[in-house]
Amino acid sequence: MTILTRLLGSSALLASTVLATQALPAEPITILINTSPWYGGFEALVEKYEADTGNKVSIDAVPLGGLLEKARNAVRGPAGNYDIVNLSNAWVVEFYAGNYLTPLTDIDPTFSFGDNIIDADGLLYWNKDKQWPMKHGGVPMAFSPNANTHLWYYRTDQIEKPPETWDDVLKTCRSKGGEVDYSVVVRGARGNPIRFAFSTYMLSFGGSIEKDAPNGDFTVTFNSPEVKHALELYIKLAKECGPPNPGSIDQGEMIQYLVSGKAKQAGIVVAAQAQMDDPEKSAVVGKISYTVTPRPADGANRDVWGSWQMGIPANVPAERKKAAMEFIKYFQSDDAQTYYAEAGGIPVSRTVLEGPLSEQEKFRWMRPYSQASRYAKQLLQYQEGAEIEQIIGLRLNQALIGELSVDDALNTAATEIHDVFVRTGRRTGLLPPLQ
Amino acid sequence: MFDRHFRLITIAPAALLILSLTVVPAIELVRMAGAKIAFTNDGVERTAALAENIGRLANDWIYWRALLNTLAFVITSTLAELVLGLVLALAAQRMTRAKGMVRTLMLMPILIPPVAIGNMWRLMYNPEFGIIAHLVDQVAGVRLDMLGSTSTALLAVIIVDVWHWTPFMFLILLAGLEGLPEEVMQASHLDGANSLQRLRFIVLPMLWPAIAVAFVFRSIGAFKVFDQIYLLTSGGPGVSTEVLSLYVFKVFFQNNELGYGALLSLVTIAIVCSYLAVFRIAQRTKGAL
Repeated sequence: MTILTRLLGSSALLASTVLATQALPAEPITILINTSPWYGGFEALVEKYEADTGNKVSIDAVPLGGLLEKARNAVRGPAGNYDIVNLSNAWVVEFYAGNYLTPLTDIDPTFSFGDNIIDADGLLYWNKDKQWPMKHGGVPMAFSPNANTHLWYYRTDQIEKPPETWDDVLKTCRSKGGEVDYSVVVRGARGNPIRFAFSTYMLSFGGSIEKDAPNGDFTVTFNSPEVKHALELYIKLAKECGPPNPGSIDQGEMIQYLVSGKAKQAGIVVAAQAQMDDPEKSAVVGKISYTVTPRPADGANRDVWGSWQMGIPANVPAERKKAAMEFIKYFQSDDAQTYYAEAGGIPVSRTVLEGPLSEQEKFRWMRPYSQASRYAKQLLQYQEGAEIEQIIGLRLNQALIGELSVDDALNTAATEIHDVFVRTGRRTGLLPPLQ
Repeated sequence: MFDRHFRLITIAPAALLILSLTVVPAIELVRMAGAKIAFTNDGVERTAALAENIGRLANDWIYWRALLNTLAFVITSTLAELVLGLVLALAAQRMTRAKGMVRTLMLMPILIPPVAIGNMWRLMYNPEFGIIAHLVDQVAGVRLDMLGSTSTALLAVIIVDVWHWTPFMFLILLAGLEGLPEEVMQASHLDGANSLQRLRFIVLPMLWPAIAVAFVFRSIGAFKVFDQIYLLTSGGPGVSTEVLSLYVFKVFFQNNELGYGALLSLVTIAIVCSYLAVFRIAQRTKGAL
């Protein structure tokens, strides 16, 4: 680290500390959140906020399975209990379109996200005219406690150079052996797990689910040759390089394979990185490094967001909305973001992700994550998203376990997605079936 | 006359409470089943969609597959639990010492929270790290992945259910066995009946009410199975472990399709009632014979 870098870093930290501690005295607030792996970092940051500002924050931390219903109940009634609710990217459209959240600029007209803040492909904004989450023409609706996209985790003692393309990955697959049982672990469990993981591959091959949904063209493109190539690669990696029966492998198993030293590499969300260097959980402490998800030899790096968003419900009193805004402003500051990272959270400030902290060995995941954050996309941002995810998640899983051929899986999924769009009155169409 | 009125007046609050807690939600469920429901800032928006919902159900192959899976799950797991519970109860009844301790130990699986059971069995079934796969590998030289294969996943969740709920059967049947009149058992002994004859002609007929209660209770519980399948397989791989409650949950809570979800719930309730009615008719027929 150069002296100049240190000085710049220190100045930025000092400036943000001053800004952070300028939060105004405010009413006590309550936050509804899920107990994800990064929750500990968030809790620590809340404690710091209370210590720095004297403001009080209560947290209602619930398992992921119960979060959506609690959030729905909280925002649908005439008076809500929660001043900030945490929402998966799969749910935000329901909350934005239903006017259940207060635009942040309605509470503080001067508020804006800095250019350094990851907005998860515009998901923090809502364009009411287009009924689409996007920065252009949109108003800020929420902030991300974790934007969460994939990183490629790989064993530095087994793989000399970080793989850049899928060909590089396949080469390491074919040279498997030694003490490591599997070269690649692929996430194949039915539903969201395989849909989410496969989306990265699909996007990198230029594939998509629908043609141009933000502009109202819901022509189904899921059975295109690009998606077919991506799925063929996905199955090849799973069957030739990974553990047997990949159809039941979810994120927990992928992490187990890595931390137990049985696998060389896997694409897992950034939130899992903390477990790799935890000596109580990992047999490969210091042996895992991170890069962006590989790409096709003639394609580009792409990824998909599995982000979290926190919004302020419309049905809470104005004073509590203002208090929630004080927390949001504090959370965005570099000081808070730095503390958040040190406490196990995943910052959304690129200033922090690319700053002095990222040069430490412990935070070697930060730069590839920041890089991926520049091109990662949001998918399924419409009301039918959950139903379509179930269709894709089932058909991909059936292709992976051999119940359906690649062509049949994609053609069937495309037809079923088309049926959903027809039922909901979208402008839609279908590609000719794959043969 | 006064007594009758007094009874009606005193029972009325409880009856009203039960009515409001069961009939009102049931009526609401029926209303929901015929509609498409959306939440807006102005409140709940309902659009009539009974025909559309029924049309969807008729073509919803995952629901019908979930029904088959559920019936297979209910029948297999309940029968297995009944037989195992009976065997264990008969063995425990003969014990003169440590019966209390055995009864307490048998309770353990029921006391463990489903989330712990799901995680514990998921790890035990894991083909790489699990004890079951390890043992099978040692004995047969095969790496078994019970949850990852479509041919074994349903069996795997049935095994977990049998482990979890056999103690429930055991407790009911043991209580039933201990309530059997001792003099009848002694008389059959004096008459020279052997163990099998006593079981077939004395114990099982007299135990029938307890068996019926245990069977009905567990059947209803098995129809509602959710948590262990959600935690073990989420209905996969493919649709091999999709069951009715899990699918209704997905439609209701993940897809947020309240109208269609309500229709699925109603049909599921009707199926459970039909199952119980068949059992009741069978029971009456047996009684008549």
